[in-house]
Amino acid sequence: MTVTLAPDIRERVSRIETTPAIPAILLPLLRLLKTPAEQVDLDEVVRLVSYDKAIAAQCVRVASSPLFGLAKPPSSISGVVVSLGLKRIESILLTCCMGQAFPVSKWDLDPVVFWKHSLGCAMVCRKFSEKLAGADPEKAYMAGLLHDIGFLANCMVYSKEFAEAVRVAMDEQIPLGEAELAVMGFTHCETGRAIAEQWKMEEDIIQVVAHHHDVENCESDHALVAIVHLCDLLCRMRGLGYGYYERRKADLLHDPAWAILEKVHEELQGMDLARFTFEMDDSVIEVSELVSMVFSRSNA
Amino acid sequence: MTPVTQLPTPPSISSRDPGLIDPAVRQIRDLIYKVSGIYNAEEKLYLLVDGCGKRMKQLGVRTIREYWDHLTAHPSRDGELRLLLNEITIGETCLFRAQSQLDALRKMILKEFIADKSRQAVKKIRVWSAGCSTGEEPYTLAMSLLEESEGLLKGWQFEITATDLNDRSVETAKLGTYGDYALRNTTDYFKRKYFTPAEDGKLQVRPEIKKYITFNRLNLTDDSKMLFMKGMDLICCCNVLIYFDGASKARVINHFYSDLNYGGYFFLGTSESLLGMTDKFHLVHFPGTIAYWKPMLQGGKP
Repeated sequence: MTVTLAPDIRERVSRIETTPAIPAILLPLLRLLKTPAEQVDLDEVVRLVSYDKAIAAQCVRVASSPLFGLAKPPSSISGVVVSLGLKRIESILLTCCMGQAFPVSKWDLDPVVFWKHSLGCAMVCRKFSEKLAGADPEKAYMAGLLHDIGFLANCMVYSKEFAEAVRVAMDEQIPLGEAELAVMGFTHCETGRAIAEQWKMEEDIIQVVAHHHDVENCESDHALVAIVHLCDLLCRMRGLGYGYYERRKADLLHDPAWAILEKVHEELQGMDLARFTFEMDDSVIEVSELVSMVFSRSNA
Repeated sequence: MTPVTQLPTPPSISSRDPGLIDPAVRQIRDLIYKVSGIYNAEEKLYLLVDGCGKRMKQLGVRTIREYWDHLTAHPSRDGELRLLLNEITIGETCLFRAQSQLDALRKMILKEFIADKSRQAVKKIRVWSAGCSTGEEPYTLAMSLLEESEGLLKGWQFEITATDLNDRSVETAKLGTYGDYALRNTTDYFKRKYFTPAEDGKLQVRPEIKKYITFNRLNLTDDSKMLFMKGMDLICCCNVLIYFDGASKARVINHFYSDLNYGGYFFLGTSESLLGMTDKFHLVHFPGTIAYWKPMLQGGKP
């Protein structure tokens, strides 16, 4: 099933690229992410990281945190890139870059709350994928980080309507997506898709952005979309949601996404979901630390 | 040339240095989870460290490694594990302990019950606090349900059965008198509405609340008695099953399952799991808590 976007959405979203709020390295970085690892020029990565001083400093701080596992503080950017490896550095760079991507004044959603959810989802996706043989934890991290990017587009190009949707969601304690549909007639999945396509993100990430609320309808990469869908739900159930009480019950083991994932990863059958849930509570603290790092705009 | 940005040493990021906790503590955490289903999150590992410390002092054991041997290789290891479980769960009992469960009950679960049972002649919800200790849980449930009596539960009745193995606990529970520590999570609103002042600055639950609760002594492994606990909508059993061995635990869980109505819920402690001992229940998530749900029969209504 292909989703046809209203031309209006695409047109409006297309204006985002020209706003000064987008860090200059974001689009080159997204291009880099699509390049097969063996073709990536490490010097190019180092140059990219070093381009923006604030982002460079942040990258080093995030890389040095226990969350990304660099034991010794690196003394240079190339040191960071070499010791962490390409995949990790890409994750970190994207994290820092997205954290600086949007202006605070335009938000109808508390940006700290938004990033807590996105980073939380990223980290939980990574942890979840580590339990699945053959899954790519760094890819899952990026998918988690970017899955709700449509909310950013909404903040920027539909700010009045979206502010109303946020208010309705909080008042009625319903999921934001439901409120969007009621108020705006479309959701962050559609605006997210427009922005992801415009920025030429990888196809599997586009699928995640467009279908993390309806895994059954995605066109490819079902497993990755299912991982993000499940981890998104888990985050919202364990204090890494959008900062308000969502009146909802989630039966993950009987969710269609679980069945989809189980077909690809048999080991899911033996997974102790209760324990995974308890372990997630540790992530809440880790995520808070990460968010405060990404949001501190000092040049260190 | 590669541009190299020289950077100052990053500041310390986490005050919670994982290096400070002996790896044996996490081993003990995993052992406890495997045996009892209780999980001590990183944030609460200090409680486990304290608990181990108290037991080590009693035993005259000096290192956590040595204590690990006591828990795993010593002839009295099973007993020691129970004593440790006691230490780490003892301070938990208080009124309004599991707010996330009460929220789930009031915001979502009650609505399900009402929808499921709306066509029944008697509009009644039945709750069982299994292992009620000194009464904190059943009184909390009664007050929470009473808060809905003019709203969701208008026209509905409810009754709470509270049982414990220990006679003395049951007697204390009936008195319903609590001090500051047990009331630390109780808001002034609830204190004013549902309590009267008692001696020594304590508060006593008002008599009209008590009439919603029946207190009894009950051994959860007593199969003949367990068979009579039918027709429950909600069972709460917090930090009780952790003391049972695998076979008795499975038996009790089966009883709970058959004692619940279809669509009924089973709550454990907020960091306690059934360890996958049954696939009859659905493990479901509500904000901040997991619950076990007895699914409706295929085809909808029970």
